[in-house]
Amino acid sequence: MSPLLSVENLRIAFPSRQGPVEVVRGVSFELGRERLGIVGESGSGKSQTGRAILGLTPVTGKATADRLEFDGIDLRNATPARWRSLRGARMSMVMQDPKFSLNPVMTIGKQLMEAVKLHGGQSEARDKSIAMLEAVQIRDPDRVMAAYPHELSGGMGQRAMIAMMLVTEPDLLIADEPTSALDVTVQIEVLRILDRLVSERGMGLIFISHDLELVSTFCDRVLVMYAGQVVEELDAAKMSEARHPYTRGLLGCLPKINGDVRPLPVLARDAAWLE
Amino acid sequence: MALIEIEELEVVFGSGGRSVHALRGVSFTVEEGESFGIVGESGSGKSTVLRAACGLAPVTGGRILIDGVPVTSPRDPAFYRRVQMVFQDPYASLHPRHTIDRVLSEPLAIHGFDRREARVEQALVEVGLGKGFRFRYPHQLSGGQRQRVAIARALILEPKVILLDEPTSALDASIQAEVLNLLDRLRAERGLTYVLVSHDLAVVSHMCERLMVMQNGAVVEQLTRQALRDHATTEDYTRNLLTASEGFTRDPALQT
Repeated sequence: MSPLLSVENLRIAFPSRQGPVEVVRGVSFELGRERLGIVGESGSGKSQTGRAILGLTPVTGKATADRLEFDGIDLRNATPARWRSLRGARMSMVMQDPKFSLNPVMTIGKQLMEAVKLHGGQSEARDKSIAMLEAVQIRDPDRVMAAYPHELSGGMGQRAMIAMMLVTEPDLLIADEPTSALDVTVQIEVLRILDRLVSERGMGLIFISHDLELVSTFCDRVLVMYAGQVVEELDAAKMSEARHPYTRGLLGCLPKINGDVRPLPVLARDAAWLE
Repeated sequence: MALIEIEELEVVFGSGGRSVHALRGVSFTVEEGESFGIVGESGSGKSTVLRAACGLAPVTGGRILIDGVPVTSPRDPAFYRRVQMVFQDPYASLHPRHTIDRVLSEPLAIHGFDRREARVEQALVEVGLGKGFRFRYPHQLSGGQRQRVAIARALILEPKVILLDEPTSALDASIQAEVLNLLDRLRAERGLTYVLVSHDLAVVSHMCERLMVMQNGAVVEQLTRQALRDHATTEDYTRNLLTASEGFTRDPALQT
């Protein structure tokens, strides 16, 4: 089976006073219908990688790639109309914080139905939206449909956003830190919903996170990014066999409930990792 | 006698029908030199405990005693020479247009300390920044460096107690380790007492000998570090929190 998405030598540069700065430097990977995690610290380029796949690189930035193909469609020179036909319908993105990513002056229902209507489905928009809210385990979908984003808790808002992104049944979902703004117990619930939808619908999922432990328990495969490059690709189950010093350092510097290492090992950054 | 005693603390924000009962009878004690952790989800009132203790939230009931003496309201300068606080977000808690020197000198001026210059330099050295940082602005520092400045600001009055409100949750994992090590070292060197609030059980387990779990403004239970590690809890809520902290577990029914 050909991969759902293939990315080869993706580079993203932003202009600065000292000339263009590359924040993503030659990232390549392929994605099938699986859960792929991208892990890294702030500034490692993980979010920009996710955004470039959806053509959402900020206008000042410039994304280039030797290959950027989604289901056989070359995305590199896609026209705005082409992007519109793909984004939302066949690939979509869940953002980090529902407070900033939902429209604050529109009810959840209106936003959800807008997504359904835009991608065909005028008449059954309402039924579809309610069914989707039920699928993300919102117990009282009618109330949530009529609610504004500020009337929902973080966990509910995030579920509503996931519902909005999945209502069009996309093939590829990019989740950029979807649970970082949530409490641990709610985080697990939201992940469980994502997990179920991915396995039931056979979606491809790119899960972007800074939390190495969480990703290793949730995803099938993990890419570790450092300073705009993928330094290591791992089977999630074989996290303990990580070889790159950066991955090992990241794993080592986390305090453990049962560990008593004092002082905590600190990550010593090596200039050679930038090569 | 315990250094900090909090008895039946109540905090109510607002009044009438729209009031929020943020703390419902919270009691605990912290011994001198101990590190005490408070964990809970957002909205559980864990930060409010710290804010109420240092006079940033309205105390509507209960008592706060330091060294057996009830605190006055508003707090007197002597209180702030004993108790200082480090806030969660180093991007928000430093004045963007004040140099580090000004941030650190201000508490010294308020409390009439001598040798201000030497103290500022010493504080910067102690948190591992060095004197070169004295005349920089917060925007010239990284998140971890800013949190070090915030810790230096709390330390400069030579307090006995430091209240830490999620000191590392805005930082990357590798920077978190550095800040936790710094806090550990300072406590050992100066015999400080910590009250640390965090949503991360692993951080609390690493830093604190005893902890308390909060939910909806009330204490669920208090336990020791060892009890936490042995999963020796009596409350379901704590157990759920522990399981959730261990990462995602796939629903067995869905396993392929």
